Amino acid sequence: MVLTILGGLFALAVGAGFVGALSGLGGGVFIVPGLVILAHVPMHIAVGASLIAVVATSAGASVAFVRDGWTNLRVAIILECATVTGAVTGAYMAGMISPPVLELLFALMMLQSAWFSLKKQGDDLVPQSDQLCTRLRLSGQMPDGDGTMTPYGVINLPGGAALMVIAGVISGLLGIGAGAVKVTAMDYLMKLPLKVSSATSNFMIGVTAGAGALVFLSRGDVAASVAAPVALGVTAGALIGGRVLPRVNVAALRILFVIILVMIALEMGWRAYSRI
Amino acid sequence: MATEIVNATAAEDRILRTWTPLILRAILILSSIILMVGIAQAIAFTPDFYVRRFQAIQHGHLHVGESFAQLVDGMRRGDPHAVMTLGLYVLTLVPLVRVAFTFVLFLKQRDFVYVAATAYVLAGLAVGVMLGRIG
Repeated sequence: MVLTILGGLFALAVGAGFVGALSGLGGGVFIVPGLVILAHVPMHIAVGASLIAVVATSAGASVAFVRDGWTNLRVAIILECATVTGAVTGAYMAGMISPPVLELLFALMMLQSAWFSLKKQGDDLVPQSDQLCTRLRLSGQMPDGDGTMTPYGVINLPGGAALMVIAGVISGLLGIGAGAVKVTAMDYLMKLPLKVSSATSNFMIGVTAGAGALVFLSRGDVAASVAAPVALGVTAGALIGGRVLPRVNVAALRILFVIILVMIALEMGWRAYSRI
Repeated sequence: MATEIVNATAAEDRILRTWTPLILRAILILSSIILMVGIAQAIAFTPDFYVRRFQAIQHGHLHVGESFAQLVDGMRRGDPHAVMTLGLYVLTLVPLVRVAFTFVLFLKQRDFVYVAATAYVLAGLAVGVMLGRIG
């Protein structure tokens, strides 16, 4: 019995970590419904385990992403200022805005992101960064299949940062990760390549999730019996995902991303509907 | 002047790309070992207790409010739950240590825009943890 429970949790987490690492969304979107529906774990316990899972995915995938040059570290550091601002503001505002309204808004945002992402075929690269991004040295290089590096520019930092603040506010208010908004902001507004956006989002989501997980742990809201096998499984899945990303086709990655966005929209829509 | 900036940026990036994965990997390995020890203890010594605890969680009964002293005490007794919880604490430190490392690196390189950015993130996280709601 004990091996069945641990094996089931581990297997669920390996899959979540793998897809979470590839998509840049952290895997929480699979962990929460997986634990609630398949393992019959209460929602708040699932959310606590999911925060731990996001930290593990972020760290596990970033080992390879940073080493191989997929993560744009400077973009991550600058945008983390925006997400942290949003998350703290959102946490402070909790209780002022009705959660179902926010959940519905978030679902609509996800659908819009899915639509934007679906319309884009490949990467929409810019050769040179704009003035602000040049000053902050945000341009980067990403590895090609043949061992060379392709340079890319970064534009529209204020637009990307504004969307990050909004993502952070929603994240702080609803207690959910906002990796999907992060990838969309970098891919669609700032014109980073999709794989770079995904790797950079993966790197960033660990920061707010880490702080959230610390709060949950210190409150006693994390069930170690659930979170421990989940953390191990997610780490294994993310390490594999980190090695697979360079070989994944951008179009396939985009389709995976759109499917996950629609899933999040449906989950949020359902949460809003069930509360009204 | 422009060449100096490019060289300094390249040097910074090289340090970041070398050290960040090492830090992430070291803490991940440490937390994974602690978690595996806790799980192995649960399987070997207290399998029925683990199953009962899991079933209690499924029914919404979570044992809460363990202080750090209780956690240390549990570790001394070899309580699998305490060992697993310690592993989770170590895991949550990964991103915070990573931000702290970049702060120190940029300070050493006197790259003050990024010193300010990382200091802001660290301060924001501290406020978030104190508010008790972030995440």
